[in-house]
Amino acid sequence: MALWVDKYRPRELTKLDFHKEQAENLRNLCKQSDFPHLMFYGPSGAGKKTRIMCLLREMYGAGVERLRSETMTFTTPSNRKVEVMTVSSNYHLEVNPSDAGMYDRTVVIDLIKQVAQTHQIEINGQREFKVIVISEGDELTKDAQHALRRTMEKYVATCRIIMSVNSTSRIIPAIRSRCLGIRVAAPSEAEMTAILQSTCKREGLALPVELAKRVVDKSERNLRRALLMLEAAKVAKSPFTAQQEVPDLDWQVFLRETASQIISEQTPAKLEKIRDRLYELLTQGVPPNLIFRGLVEHLVSNCDMSIKAKTLELATEYEHRMQNGAKHIFHLEAFVAQFMSIYKKFMSELLMTDDF
Amino acid sequence: MSARKKPWIKSAFSELNLTQTTAVSEGTPAKRTRSTPHASTKTQRNRNVNSTPTLAAALVDITAEDEDGCGDNSESPPTVTEKWMESFAPTSSEELAVHPKKIGELRDWLRHCEAMRWKVPAQICLLSGPTGAGKTATLQVLAKEFGYQLQEWINPVDCEVINTLGDQPSGGSYLGSHLEAFKSFLLRASRYKSLLNAQNKRLVLVEDFPNVLLSDAEANFDDLLEKYSIYGKSPLVFIVADSKSRGLNISYKLFPDQLKAKHRINHISFNSIAATIMQKSMKTFCAIMQQKGNKALYKVPSSTVVDSIVVGAQGDIRNALINLHLSALKGVPNMPTKQLNVSVTSKGRQRKMQSTLKSIGRDESITLMHAVGRVLNPKCNEEKRLQHSPEVLTEAFCTEPRNFVNFIHANYLPHFRDIEDVLPAINDLCLSDFMLNEYRDDALPVMGLNLAIRGTMLANKDPVSGWMPVRGPKRINVLPPATLAEQKLLGIGCADTSKALYATEYKSFVKCIAARSPKEMPIENEQSIED
Repeated sequence: MALWVDKYRPRELTKLDFHKEQAENLRNLCKQSDFPHLMFYGPSGAGKKTRIMCLLREMYGAGVERLRSETMTFTTPSNRKVEVMTVSSNYHLEVNPSDAGMYDRTVVIDLIKQVAQTHQIEINGQREFKVIVISEGDELTKDAQHALRRTMEKYVATCRIIMSVNSTSRIIPAIRSRCLGIRVAAPSEAEMTAILQSTCKREGLALPVELAKRVVDKSERNLRRALLMLEAAKVAKSPFTAQQEVPDLDWQVFLRETASQIISEQTPAKLEKIRDRLYELLTQGVPPNLIFRGLVEHLVSNCDMSIKAKTLELATEYEHRMQNGAKHIFHLEAFVAQFMSIYKKFMSELLMTDDF
Repeated sequence: MSARKKPWIKSAFSELNLTQTTAVSEGTPAKRTRSTPHASTKTQRNRNVNSTPTLAAALVDITAEDEDGCGDNSESPPTVTEKWMESFAPTSSEELAVHPKKIGELRDWLRHCEAMRWKVPAQICLLSGPTGAGKTATLQVLAKEFGYQLQEWINPVDCEVINTLGDQPSGGSYLGSHLEAFKSFLLRASRYKSLLNAQNKRLVLVEDFPNVLLSDAEANFDDLLEKYSIYGKSPLVFIVADSKSRGLNISYKLFPDQLKAKHRINHISFNSIAATIMQKSMKTFCAIMQQKGNKALYKVPSSTVVDSIVVGAQGDIRNALINLHLSALKGVPNMPTKQLNVSVTSKGRQRKMQSTLKSIGRDESITLMHAVGRVLNPKCNEEKRLQHSPEVLTEAFCTEPRNFVNFIHANYLPHFRDIEDVLPAINDLCLSDFMLNEYRDDALPVMGLNLAIRGTMLANKDPVSGWMPVRGPKRINVLPPATLAEQKLLGIGCADTSKALYATEYKSFVKCIAARSPKEMPIENEQSIED
């Protein structure tokens, strides 16, 4: 059994549900004999990966869907073993180097060398090159990106790289200029509703319009999230009713509670409890920048207009430090402490003016 | 007198009896005496030129107990003998500077050995403690008391080269294994007595561990002990000096708890020598210096110098003795001392400024917990200055700034009462983390550490008092792996989803889908087969 997200994922470029014009362009790209390095960029859950897989199928035929997963081991210069999961077919290899953390440079170099040094042994000889798919390319360190730049040029005869990134801003210009950028925008709400409806139809379920709207609203135009949410809702209660509850991402709920706790009390003891909650989130694997962003959003929406600007200003400062620092918790905690102090001052001033 | 170089320093009380011939079992090619570098030399001429009058021996009670041990020295000319340290060595258990309880523990074990002598002769004991705590001296004194002859293992500089391989004409030589040599030493030394010695009881001592045991996992220490407890015929003592870092800590590495339990190893851990006991033994040393044979050689150092030596040695009696010896030699200028800013009340009368040796002596070592306490509970002296300077704390931990900052961060919050005070502290911690991450400049980590220490020490205006245990920094563990059902749901696609993406997007939904749908699984499987 597979998740709906995987089960109903379009397999061919012609069958994509939205951005059809772009799909046509991609098909044309494959028809040509040469093929550049590509960089798909766009928000999470917009269908970058789906498009990459469709493109590969267009190029190599159904063979790319015969996947095998394998754990590759790399040895860093400091003799440390790094294990990275890869998914590959005869024609391509998918890797997520961000799992290697700071050793991603070694992974990128070694991996490309391994793949690129062997020529394609293919009877049909459709393409002379293999494809390496790098997902979450923007998580690559600058070091790895510079290493990638060189290897991209060196092995251009035998391999092409397709990167999937959320934002090009974290990709160094050298790589940006070597790749053909393809923007995959998030689907519109109407498109998402249509997809949810068609999915339910294929599953043999009736989806009330109201529920569909609520799921779409809650998913923040993230199609993957919407489909997972819908499936989770179906597991909770099937058949659907218009009023039924839509499950939430539990870390978001947890974060919201944390924010309301910050507003409820401003003492060092509370700060320590907040720290424990933040640790909990980090242990769950939620990336610190998402925690930071969620926290700021909740806090700003819950506080008075007069302190919003100051809060945002502090948030930018600490977020910047967090990006450069190593211990994320320090910076998250510092921001919370600053907010607590502002909020406390604001409240005490409010009380004073009330007295008069 | 010729200018013959004479070593004046000789490591510890390595030999109990000078006249006794070194008794090495035939298995070891090593020398029994510990080699000591000829660290410094004194020539006779030099001393004659500078002979300064002996200082008034106000400190020393000349009527103090007489030492038997230094009878040998009475005829010697006024030069520092090669084995001067032996003349100061304790000869009876009363003279030991070690706490009587610890001596008692060791004595009990030796009695136990006596009792089990015919049944289970191969008893094993482990002595651990900081350097200069008197571990070896205690053992030597007690061994003498019980009539044991000590057989010590010394790492051979090089193992025997075995030249003839029989069938190979030349060049066929190889080095014997250290481990084999050690094994054969253990077994032979415990079984066979030395030809030159009358005593029949032997005690095998291992203080110098063969390196193979420490570096090589394959050298199985457990097996070795197993064999010893079967074939060994005399008690075996291991002496291990404590070390702060785990990697170097032999007692931690070689003697894990289950090993100790398995071989019934008696573990006695010594503490560093207390200042009062140290004072007393310094007096004894001074008294020895005043004896007939030594008087020409030594002057008695002033009481401040002696006190400084005691402070500087920090419970290391060997270090104290070496410093005392150096400061007491005639012809050596008085040792410079420096004042510490810590004042102590001595005997309740007046406050006395404590001083320590300026350039010689051990550095003050400060444990992590101690230092964290100093940072979190900063104390001010009368002039509104911090008693423990942040600079000193920074210096003490400049090799592990990250660890120290993490410790401060984990523990600082309970000490604060007001959120306003927390702000500068966390802000500085934050900046220091930022600085510690900057690897391109060597100076920045230290700066960062200093900033964190200062920030935390100064920020707290109204500290919360009370007992707060120090907690270690939290480690962020790897998140729990997906359960089997969840993995099945994800299929092969899970391999390329990163952990972060999985945690933020998939996890909570997949969990609830996987939890509710076990019944459907077989049906779905059939479908996939059809496909």
